[in-house]
Amino acid sequence: MPSWLRRGETLAVVMLSVVLVAALIGPLLSPYSSIIPSGAPHLPPLSAGHLFGTDELGLDIATRILEGTRTSLLTALVVTVIAAVAGMLIGTLAGFVGGVLDTVLMRVTDLFLALPATIVAMAVAAGLGTGLTSSMIAITVVWWPLYARLVRGEVRRTARALHVEAARMSGTRGTRLVLRHVLPSVLPTVAVTASLDIGGVIVTVAALSFVGLGAPAPAPELGLMASAGLQYVVNSWWIPVLPGLAVGLLSLLFNYAGDGLRAVLRGKGA
Amino acid sequence: MLRFTVRRIASLIVVLFALLVLVFLISRYGGDPVRGYLGANASADAVAAMRTRLGLDQPIWVQFADYLSRLARLDLGTSLATRRPVAAELAQRIPATAELALWTVFFSVLIGILLARVYTLKSRFSGVLRLILFSAASAPAFLIATGGVLIFFVQLHWLPVSGRTGYGPSTGLSGMYVLDGLLTGNLPYAMDALRHLILPALAASLGPGVALARVLADGLSTSLRSAYARTARSLGETESAVLRRHGLRNAASPALSLLGVQVGMMLSSLVVVEQIFSWNGLGQFLVRAIGGADTATVATISLLLGAFYVVVNALVDIALAVVDPRVRLS
Repeated sequence: MPSWLRRGETLAVVMLSVVLVAALIGPLLSPYSSIIPSGAPHLPPLSAGHLFGTDELGLDIATRILEGTRTSLLTALVVTVIAAVAGMLIGTLAGFVGGVLDTVLMRVTDLFLALPATIVAMAVAAGLGTGLTSSMIAITVVWWPLYARLVRGEVRRTARALHVEAARMSGTRGTRLVLRHVLPSVLPTVAVTASLDIGGVIVTVAALSFVGLGAPAPAPELGLMASAGLQYVVNSWWIPVLPGLAVGLLSLLFNYAGDGLRAVLRGKGA
Repeated sequence: MLRFTVRRIASLIVVLFALLVLVFLISRYGGDPVRGYLGANASADAVAAMRTRLGLDQPIWVQFADYLSRLARLDLGTSLATRRPVAAELAQRIPATAELALWTVFFSVLIGILLARVYTLKSRFSGVLRLILFSAASAPAFLIATGGVLIFFVQLHWLPVSGRTGYGPSTGLSGMYVLDGLLTGNLPYAMDALRHLILPALAASLGPGVALARVLADGLSTSLRSAYARTARSLGETESAVLRRHGLRNAASPALSLLGVQVGMMLSSLVVVEQIFSWNGLGQFLVRAIGGADTATVATISLLLGAFYVVVNALVDIALAVVDPRVRLS
């Protein structure tokens, strides 16, 4: 691995921190509202007072991207955390209890893994009715099985490790054994997978919003902004492209940072 | 081999059944089919009558059996958006999506092989290339598609970005315009259809292509370092022959199984891409159904796309087992 790539990952973490802070304090950074026009329509980027220009209604695109980034991040974090926790619960149960429970849980998991995730998510979200919440539920429904598989394998591997054996010898059993001795060694793997997944979740949320499964216009959602702005691409490219770039950049940063995290944990021998 | 195939097909049937149940539940409980047909202002009597007519007052398993029998008769209901039978709408659009999907797979494989070759060349640019590829793989399909429109249509005026052809619907048999053009000997028609295909297919294939390249390059570098590659070299085979006959062959099976999985990503990209390029296929129909809150139609299209994905992956697994005996044993 060339050293500049390592630097690239450090840079990604730094940039990600900046984005996170910006998204957190987003509304304070901008004098405009994300849904009330604040200038002439179709102003190009770098116009006075409008860094990223304005859209067809005269809404400030920078403000909307900030707001959309915040929504994206929050959504992706919630989805990833819930999917990871649910997957851990199911994977641990299957891996630790074993037997019939293991077979049943893993059959169900494999069933979900055999289906095309985004297509199923679209169908589920449509069934639940459009809106950010149904997108989140739908993506969680297709995302947990990855973690369940992963955690089950890790739990089974860890359960045979010497330190778990020692704990068992000294009389630790059941939940306590799992919580104190098995899960702590599974957690880093889950954390790395989750951090690598966030980028994918962000893109999936944006795709669902793009096809009309998110909040209705003019909500500041990045996918929606990209699809609603598409009709102006010939004369005002920035209206659809900048929100799309924001999604791409977010996902890229998370992928890089996740790679970095994986390298760090692996370096420590975890 | 036979045992493997039978087991794989059995698991395919189970997965297809699960997909059916899922789609049934979505179309049954998602949205409100009665209100969808009658509108929000329908009287209570009309709603009750419609519920009886649609069989919604029956026990759930009767409804499921009814759903299956209607599926078997290709009675897929009426599209709320076009007020035409969904089956007819699908039949008209399947060739459009099939054509785009086939070219997307073709471009993905092409991109995968070319990039994998570049990866394995040790050069100072490979780091930069990795960064570019990493970015491309992280980008959502709609960004790549929009970028393609901007560069090749708005700036360069090279390629069309709307619809499938500049002429008119094909009169050929397959409904795939390039193929029809070639079969009827109408070369300009085929070329025009191809020009319409390039941007949408490329936009959907970039992500899968990059993923493929990574796996292929990994496999290639492993097999080129292997003992059998060394033996082949020591027998006087040229490096490119080693690559072709030993490297590519051994790197192909993980790449093929990845390609199967990537078909899922391609399908969801196609939904978005068809919307951007006004491609009159299943994806565009899906987005229209979503826009019209036509849950039953959304569910039906998802069933079709999902079933396609599941079947492709079963075929890939069986093909792998034919090519690679190790698969059969695991």
